[in-house]
Amino acid sequence: MQLIARRPTVVAIAAGACWLAVAGSARADGELSMRGVYYKERATRVMQPMLDGSFEVGDHGAVTAHLLVDAITSASVAAGADGGEFTERRVEGGGTYSHELGVVRFGSQVRYSSEPDYKSTFGGPRLAAELFDRNLVLTASGTVGHDEISNAGAPPMVPRIEDTLTSYLGSIGVSQLLGANLVGAVTYDVSYLDGLQSNLYRSVIAAGAQVAERHPQLRTRHAVVGSLKWFVPASSTTLIAGYRRYHDDWGIDGHTPELRVIQDAGAGAAFGFRYRYHRQDQADFYQPRYDSSTLAFLSDDIKLSAFDSHTLAAHLEVVGEALGFEGRIGELRGQIVIEYVAQNNRFGNALVTHAALTVPFAY
Amino acid sequence: MWRLCVVGLATLYLATAGCAVVRPHERQNLARRSMIEDRPVGQSRFLQHQTGSREGADGGTGEPGGGCGCN
Repeated sequence: MQLIARRPTVVAIAAGACWLAVAGSARADGELSMRGVYYKERATRVMQPMLDGSFEVGDHGAVTAHLLVDAITSASVAAGADGGEFTERRVEGGGTYSHELGVVRFGSQVRYSSEPDYKSTFGGPRLAAELFDRNLVLTASGTVGHDEISNAGAPPMVPRIEDTLTSYLGSIGVSQLLGANLVGAVTYDVSYLDGLQSNLYRSVIAAGAQVAERHPQLRTRHAVVGSLKWFVPASSTTLIAGYRRYHDDWGIDGHTPELRVIQDAGAGAAFGFRYRYHRQDQADFYQPRYDSSTLAFLSDDIKLSAFDSHTLAAHLEVVGEALGFEGRIGELRGQIVIEYVAQNNRFGNALVTHAALTVPFAY
Repeated sequence: MWRLCVVGLATLYLATAGCAVVRPHERQNLARRSMIEDRPVGQSRFLQHQTGSREGADGGTGEPGGGCGCN
């Protein structure tokens, strides 16, 4: 309840800060977006209000910034409580800066996230080059992250544990115009994680005894995503097809195809549908039941089990003008998203809803 | 299998990329919102957070994960 009472204050402060930051500058364009997300599954609820801003800086620069609060209510022991329902709050802020220099755009990003038992900081550079009259765009980015993890949410009699996780991510991408209505893109990510990757609250039943979860300290993850976007002029429809292939050295292989349809519905309005399928194998060391507690690695992490999921989503976007409003109100853009995730694992099915309002402005 | 998949995707991409040159005056449809920013940044970030905390096969977005306390 405390979080709900404080949330409007956080949003108001952030909105004021963004307004003050842009006031008095040379004329440029910007956008401020407010979004609220509600996520609900069998044992977990998440409410996430967030604020996103994007601003032009000078003739060639662009800044984005975001601030969000996560209120996670869970009955899960693994999430930090001792059997009962609890609520935990996470605050995250971040930003990017990019600068255009001819056909090259370079920049950097930073992000900081804080909750009582998990602090995470990461950042790194980005580079994009638009080649062959902007028919081909090459992108590259690198990120280093440092997480500090503890079991601060455990009961007082439990000994305190603190650990760290360092992560490195490299990403390269290529996007190519394939026709007047067709764009193709491929992205490859590799990440390397070194540190605590198990959950300090989670335990495993092994040979009849309850023992702490033990995961490997190192993990290398690879993911390739390919996508095609096709605009059909006759019906003003955009079709987006994507496929993600994942592999890591814990033995998990994943396949994720996705199909999206976005339909223009007159001036300033659009609606769309999405279907996503995800299937993954289990990690080499994951077992639904362990007969020995002396194994090197033990896990009760559902994310490491074999499962598949189906996601169905619909969204609607409307600009104020489409509803008959004029002036500044006519420029406002609203969005509603409803998503249902059918997961055949212990998480159970999930319902996700978004509501967002975007305000474009000049300064 | 993994390498074959990467090589296949790269070959397919290189084979198709050389076929078309789209001139600036032909790009009015490519400049549509649905073709550029098909998903608002806040929606993308939550989606990444959601899949990162519910799936072991995360990644491919070019964005770092972490910070979700979802070990």
